[in-house]
Amino acid sequence: MADFIQLLVNGLALGSVYALAAIGFVIVYSATGVVNFAAGQFVMFGTFAGVAMLSNLGLSLPVGYAAALIAMAGFGALFFAAVYMPLRNSPVATVIIGTVAVSIVMQNAALLGFGSWPFRLASPLDGITFDIAGAAITAHAAMVVVVTGVLVGLIWLLFYKTALGIGMRAVAQDTEAALLMGLNVNVLLVLSWVLAAVLAGIAGLLLGPMWFADVNMGDPIALKAFAATIIGGFGSLPGAIAGGLFVGLTELLGASYISSAYKDLIAFVVMILFLLVRPQGVFGERIQDRG
Amino acid sequence: MTTKRQMLKGMLAATVLPLGGFGAMAQQGDITIGATVPITGPLSLTGKQYHNALQMAEKDINAAGGINGRKIKIVFEDTQASNGTAVNAFMKLAQEVKSPFYFLSSYSTQNLAVSPEVKKVAAPVMYAGGADVIAEAGNEWMFRVRPADLVSARGMVEAAQLLKAKKPGIIFIQNDFGQGGAQVAAKQFEALGTPIVGMEAYGQTDKDFSAQIISLRGKGADVILLFNYPQDGALFLRQAKMLGLKLPLVTSSSALVPAVMQLISASDLENVWGVVDAHMDVSAGDRMKDFIDRYKKTFGIDPDPYGLAYYDGALIMAEGMRKVGLEPKALRDWLAALRNWQGIGHVYSFDEKGNGVFDLAVVKAKPGTKELELVKTIKIN
Repeated sequence: MADFIQLLVNGLALGSVYALAAIGFVIVYSATGVVNFAAGQFVMFGTFAGVAMLSNLGLSLPVGYAAALIAMAGFGALFFAAVYMPLRNSPVATVIIGTVAVSIVMQNAALLGFGSWPFRLASPLDGITFDIAGAAITAHAAMVVVVTGVLVGLIWLLFYKTALGIGMRAVAQDTEAALLMGLNVNVLLVLSWVLAAVLAGIAGLLLGPMWFADVNMGDPIALKAFAATIIGGFGSLPGAIAGGLFVGLTELLGASYISSAYKDLIAFVVMILFLLVRPQGVFGERIQDRG
Repeated sequence: MTTKRQMLKGMLAATVLPLGGFGAMAQQGDITIGATVPITGPLSLTGKQYHNALQMAEKDINAAGGINGRKIKIVFEDTQASNGTAVNAFMKLAQEVKSPFYFLSSYSTQNLAVSPEVKKVAAPVMYAGGADVIAEAGNEWMFRVRPADLVSARGMVEAAQLLKAKKPGIIFIQNDFGQGGAQVAAKQFEALGTPIVGMEAYGQTDKDFSAQIISLRGKGADVILLFNYPQDGALFLRQAKMLGLKLPLVTSSSALVPAVMQLISASDLENVWGVVDAHMDVSAGDRMKDFIDRYKKTFGIDPDPYGLAYYDGALIMAEGMRKVGLEPKALRDWLAALRNWQGIGHVYSFDEKGNGVFDLAVVKAKPGTKELELVKTIKIN
């Protein structure tokens, strides 16, 4: 039982990080119709924003975290202005290829700025471990799950209970109609990118102490988050969360109870099955008219 | 008739001139040596070390008079973490630099990918990948300057025996190095009458090892052997401690390099044993002390055995060139016949498969520190 609890909590923590990255996918996709293939590098930038603020500049944890997230918000706005805006009238495939190209640029920029050696990022809860029915649960892993839960709640409130969120959803559904209704579409679009970048920043800050801050960390995250989004459903917030948790839990429970050699295979086989049988995922909208 | 004679003259000139040109070039100017090294990417944790060590060797060889008065110049190409990039890097050097000798990376998968191209280029290379399959493939141009995985696995099994393991378990990175080493270790345990209780794998980009650790703990393992690369090794050691793992761990050499020590704390090394190619301690002798001191002074970091292997390799190469010149076949034959060459890290003798190192050290972390102390030196014939 202790082992199962251990795997469950670790799987939930891992899945929460995938879910946050997947939510970033969903927010951008819902608002712009673009699959942001730089999403993994957004998370990597978030981790390195933490390294820059906490390790390089030596800021205290609260100030460093806040500064890192402000930097990520700025980065989201910059990405909107420098990448999305110039490409916004291009075919969706062009925009997607643009995000792939930018992700490569981001990875190399991080490499030039921070070097190829990993960094160890401190956690505010370093060294604290709980014993739950014999399972050693780190306080940081528990915090990851809790923070993700709170964020999901806040995002739900934003999208369904505030004028701003309803406006963002309106732009996502029909940009021209939103424009005719007097909504400031550009502001709402930039906010979508800013929100995605900030969420990726939070995921990165949560991830840094669990893994090491490493300029190559973005690709595996993007891959798993993409699988999570397919399984949960593109365009669906509950889908991103369920998909992320599913992939994280499958990774650990599959490795333990089926085979560690085939653990990734399990999640990706499920993803392929969804693409074949239910391409809109568990919670997703119909996607055949999307690029 | 005249036209035919002119054509023949032209053909002769076309054939001979490049040879004459090469001969002239070979007698003057710097001698360029190609080196393919993972300078960027996740494999650069150790790649950086032999990038540094080869630069240091270049400087030392030239300061000692070079190759019969000519300086050497090492030209580097980045292999990153990709086999394809490693092949391209080697081919680029082979086509543009045309070295009489090359250094390859220390990653077995890259060495395996490059091996067919080495055969085509027909120039001797030194590499540090441990996978037994590289040497078994019988490429006469390839010379290994580190212990093969067979040697490392035996060292790890011996360490487990020193820890009185009755139910060993194995966790390995899923590639040629990890799988090969794990299988060798499993067979050795079997032969010793203590079969392993389980074997678990993980991928190169994996970040959570709790499933593998818990699985082996659940199977009653009393010692876990870990075949790893540096970054995953560091993460593994941290997670094992976070999970409250009390079992002793025996790691392969990558988990104990200085780059890993920067990422872990002393408590993560509690109850950790391992094998290292060479015990790099200033007490090991004057030459070792001189190497460590100068390396630290030049690069600001501690050296590791991977870098030392390439440093020794470069000095071997230089001696070969001084004795038999720059003709690749002559250099290859000289290396193949080399016996008992006293390096800093090892005594090198190449066997018929190009293996040059047959010893390593079992070490353990001094309690409460990140310092490694020598438990035993192992020599395998």
